[in-house]
Amino acid sequence: MVPDRIEREIVIDAPLEVVWAVVTAPEHVGSWFSDSAEIDLRPGGKATLTWNEHGSFPLRIEKVDPPHSVAYRWARPAGAEPRAGNSTLVEFILSEEGEGTRLRVVESGFAALEAAEEEKAKHFQENTQGWERELGELREYVSNLVSPSSRR
Amino acid sequence: MSRRGEEGDELWAAVADPTRRRLLDALLAHGEATATTLAGELPVTRQAVAKHLAVLDRAGLVEGRRRGREVRYAVRPERLDAATQGMARVAAQWDERLAAIKRLAEASARE
Repeated sequence: MVPDRIEREIVIDAPLEVVWAVVTAPEHVGSWFSDSAEIDLRPGGKATLTWNEHGSFPLRIEKVDPPHSVAYRWARPAGAEPRAGNSTLVEFILSEEGEGTRLRVVESGFAALEAAEEEKAKHFQENTQGWERELGELREYVSNLVSPSSRR
Repeated sequence: MSRRGEEGDELWAAVADPTRRRLLDALLAHGEATATTLAGELPVTRQAVAKHLAVLDRAGLVEGRRRGREVRYAVRPERLDAATQGMARVAAQWDERLAAIKRLAEASARE
């Protein structure tokens, strides 16, 4: 059966601080990830990744613990602000490995995307039923106004 | 390196939920089953099973066939393969990005 999150890692022959800079500095992120990047690296900070082909994707930084971990929410589609239900969580974890660095990335939260879709569907249905009820009452009210004599 | 395809998201989301994964497992084990049979095997209500089956159906992962008064569901293996491959593709994209980070960091450490 398929996994519900992606977890990958790599060992890099460079010190932790160097790897941290590559993972988080806009000039590097705009090289290994997108075509350009703007990053306000603090919890709650915004970042924007831009692909020439696909457009700009706003990210929200959730957690920063330099130089060990950083996590952000990544929304879809292009231009959407990250919120619960339209984004996945991407987390980078750095640890020392001899003279080098082990870098792990975890992307998770795909199930929450769908749960939000279901919530929306449910909400929509409840709203629709609510409006049907109210329109029914309105119709009755209006018909009473228009033709009170026809009522027995 | 690109953003993952939007069309894969629905498929992915459908299989990301643990209950739906158990439903798929149960369906694979049975070949075919009704919502009532599945509810008897999982710790969820029949209504919840029906809701999850609807999500799987929308993503094309299962199909229901009416047999008399009941609907029997079966997995569409080709779509499940597509989901697995979709995830493998996302994993491969991360592998490429990690490899690019490695190249940049090692080049920068040598300077």
